[in-house]
Amino acid sequence: MTAVLQRYLDPSVLASISGLELIAKTVVEGFIAGLHRSPDFGFSQEFAEYRAYTEGDDLRHVDWNVYARTERAYLKRYRGETNTQLTMLLDASNSMTFGSHQVNKLEYAKYLAASVCYLAGHQRDAAGIIVFDDDIRNYVQPSSRQGQLHRMLHAIGKAVPGKRTNFAKPFLHCQQFLHRRGMIVVISDFYEAAGRVIKAIEPLRYHGNEVVLFHVLDPQEIQPSLKQPALLIDMETDDAIEVTPDYVRHEYRSRIDGHISALREGAIRAGIDYFLLPTDRPLDEGLREYLTIRQGRM
Amino acid sequence: MGFFSPWFLAGFLAVGLPIYIHLLQQHKTTPLPFSSLMFFERRTQSSVKHRRLKYLLLFAMRVALLILLALAFANLYVSCARPAGATGNKLSIVAIDNSFSMRAGDRFEQARRGALGVLAALRPGDTAQIIAFDSRVQILTQPIEDAGALRSAVQSLQPGDGRSSYGELSRALRSLAQASRIPVEAHVFTDIQRTSLPVPFSELAVDSNTRLVVHPVARRTEPNWFVETVNAPPAIYQPNKVRIQATVAGAGTEAATLRASLALNGNVVESREVAVAAGGRATAEFFLNEAPYGLNRGEVRIESRDRLPADDRFPFSIERKEASRILFVHEARNSRAVLYYRAAIEASPDSGFSVESVTADQAANLDPKKFAIVVLSDVAALPGALEASLNSYVNQGGSVLISLGPAAATRSRVRVFEEALAGTSYAARSGDRFQTAASVDASHPALELVNHFEGVKFFQAVRVTPGKARILARLTDDTPLVLEKKAGDGRILVFASTFDNVSNDLPLHASFVPFVQRSAQYLSGFDSTPGHFPVGSHADLRSAREAATAVEVVAPGGGRALSLREAATARSFELAREGFYEVRRGSNRNELLAVHADRRESNLDVVPQETLALWQNAGDGPQGAGGPAEPGERRVGLWWYFALALLAMAIVESVVASRYLSVEREAGAAAAGRRAA
Repeated sequence: MTAVLQRYLDPSVLASISGLELIAKTVVEGFIAGLHRSPDFGFSQEFAEYRAYTEGDDLRHVDWNVYARTERAYLKRYRGETNTQLTMLLDASNSMTFGSHQVNKLEYAKYLAASVCYLAGHQRDAAGIIVFDDDIRNYVQPSSRQGQLHRMLHAIGKAVPGKRTNFAKPFLHCQQFLHRRGMIVVISDFYEAAGRVIKAIEPLRYHGNEVVLFHVLDPQEIQPSLKQPALLIDMETDDAIEVTPDYVRHEYRSRIDGHISALREGAIRAGIDYFLLPTDRPLDEGLREYLTIRQGRM
Repeated sequence: MGFFSPWFLAGFLAVGLPIYIHLLQQHKTTPLPFSSLMFFERRTQSSVKHRRLKYLLLFAMRVALLILLALAFANLYVSCARPAGATGNKLSIVAIDNSFSMRAGDRFEQARRGALGVLAALRPGDTAQIIAFDSRVQILTQPIEDAGALRSAVQSLQPGDGRSSYGELSRALRSLAQASRIPVEAHVFTDIQRTSLPVPFSELAVDSNTRLVVHPVARRTEPNWFVETVNAPPAIYQPNKVRIQATVAGAGTEAATLRASLALNGNVVESREVAVAAGGRATAEFFLNEAPYGLNRGEVRIESRDRLPADDRFPFSIERKEASRILFVHEARNSRAVLYYRAAIEASPDSGFSVESVTADQAANLDPKKFAIVVLSDVAALPGALEASLNSYVNQGGSVLISLGPAAATRSRVRVFEEALAGTSYAARSGDRFQTAASVDASHPALELVNHFEGVKFFQAVRVTPGKARILARLTDDTPLVLEKKAGDGRILVFASTFDNVSNDLPLHASFVPFVQRSAQYLSGFDSTPGHFPVGSHADLRSAREAATAVEVVAPGGGRALSLREAATARSFELAREGFYEVRRGSNRNELLAVHADRRESNLDVVPQETLALWQNAGDGPQGAGGPAEPGERRVGLWWYFALALLAMAIVESVVASRYLSVEREAGAAAAGRRAA
């Protein structure tokens, strides 16, 4: 049964499902079914911690048994109540529309974003989303209200390829509007110098946010196979460069590997989680990453 | 410096091929959208440019390869001065024209003097060779240094009666030059007759190491009258008047009236005036009333005062003889066939046959050997003695013509022919049920003029089983109409119908006379040889039947034209001189062959100077390219060096091309370069 559900995490299978919510539900439920065997993960109403009562706390959460024994008021907190705020940044630049198989990068990113949102909603986390390219294209403020999931899925579904990528604007926006610490998930192909990316994201981390970078790349971008010389057209700038197969086979690969390494190392140095997601890999790896980091926050 | 074969320089045009491949056919790449080019630098372009540099290098080498190839074939040469005093490095060929036209004036003497002058100019140690030419080339000496032998060869040469051919001379010079390892200098002494030029001018080309020097002994066209041809019957059988026509022509002449005479056996029989237009021709007609029996030497002469009197007479032979006899054997009750057959034979006074008709019974005591052929016309039964003598006659070379009709069809086999009868096919004359000739072998001498028996209706034909006979004609119902069979040395021809206008209507058609005459000539071996031959013709001496018979040929001068061996074995011989050849065969069968010079030799029009210059230039190896080599200079071909350079260039081109095409190696080198950087 688990294997059957896991199959639905395959991006190419998900591409045949219409409706982003259904995709997200399929992913998450398939993923959750696979998690039940693991003792490390759980999100039910389990006891998590005691916290000293401070003025203004809801008295319903005071553990009166502890108060009777110790005469001190403690609040009993459960995992289900340790909800966090999730802000997702989805790159919808034109380069994200590149794809060498059934699912292009933008579609994959949408599936991933929708699944994470669904999962967050399932855990009653407040979640919001920013869709950007070289500017902010859509913004759904983080919330855990009823209907938030649908608003987010609508925003994700409406995301259309824009122009070029500019990380400065969306992250500045985040800094201005995010007052509560939480998780920030960035889904992008990061076609920008690694230093600039990290420099743009780093300030968020200083505010105590957990930042996760999902680096979505097409397999052909990581290991391109070119049989003959070709004229490559940049999808964002329309620049053209004639390349030869041997250049692509050697020079380009070393450069893209270098870029990925630089991004990963920069992220580690800045305390940011980095995760490379080729579009031919199942979506559960992204979800697993999300939950691992979320668990670390509790 | 020049080129031995400059037309190979056209190979430079092939340079267009690499230009097209390398430059015009531009490298096209497929545009592909890619998410970002941030990892592709302009350095990629420089890599392509680097490759293009190699590409251009390869292009240059390929162009050079083609140019070297063209130069190697064009055979570039440089002229080097020949060491002073060097001897024995040149062969002088002295070619003297001894054709009929060289008899005009003192042309031949001039040629001889010129040839002796060339020989006198030879340095000690120089080799020379003497050749004479008309329509054939006669090598008088081998390449020798003996000046005395060379001079005597020239002095012994006499003008002949042949027709000169410069094409044949050039062919011989090419052969001699190819056999010679040293340069050849050919001195040609000739009257540069225009009629001696070959039709394709290219036949005048000589070998590359030959320098041709033409010494004309005639500078301008000279007027000449001549007897062009004589039309006279070769044999006469009846004492009637014989008409003889002669054509008198002039080449480069003005209008004139000439006196023409007919001479028979040296005696002038008749003379008349002939008016010849300027450069035209006229016909003189003579009537010969009486000619003695036997072979007669005829001649038509004109009186002209031109420089070539040898062509003012035209010999011809005429023979007065009895007609050959044909024995026509028929049934007593059928005399219609002989009527038609005789009429057909006598239709031409020059047919040379007379018909003697007898019935089968009367023929019993006749000797067939006294007749040229025997015709058995629908004979039912032959007397035993006649049949035996006919069989013997045929075996010894005699010939029989058999026609088959109702009488012959009563027998089961054809007499003498010795093949079975398979029946007859009849058709009534009233209806349209006749047969026609379906297939006729028109290549057979007896049937070549019958026009496929067109329109002839065959109402009755006797079906003969062919056996070993050859079928020459068939009717539409596949019945053999004409058959031929060889028996011993003789032949038998069977006509499966009759000559009497009953079984067919052949006697009423135009094909009847040629069929009767040609079949009689074919069976009798009668050969209507012409009364005269041009010089250079060949005369048949003996047939297969006469293989064992000695033949004697008496040349015009009275001497024997054949050696003893040739007289016993030769099948033919060449009529090389003008005059009368007497051919004496066994059984008093003699022939007189009148031989005249080719009348194209009588046209003394000379080759234009520009044509002559062109020919001489063509005789300098690298035709028309570098001009003749100066005396004392030597041309050294450089094709060998170009071939070596070509080979080296091909090797280098292969290396560069393989390196260019080796992507892996280049990629490795590029990676190494990056690491070093």
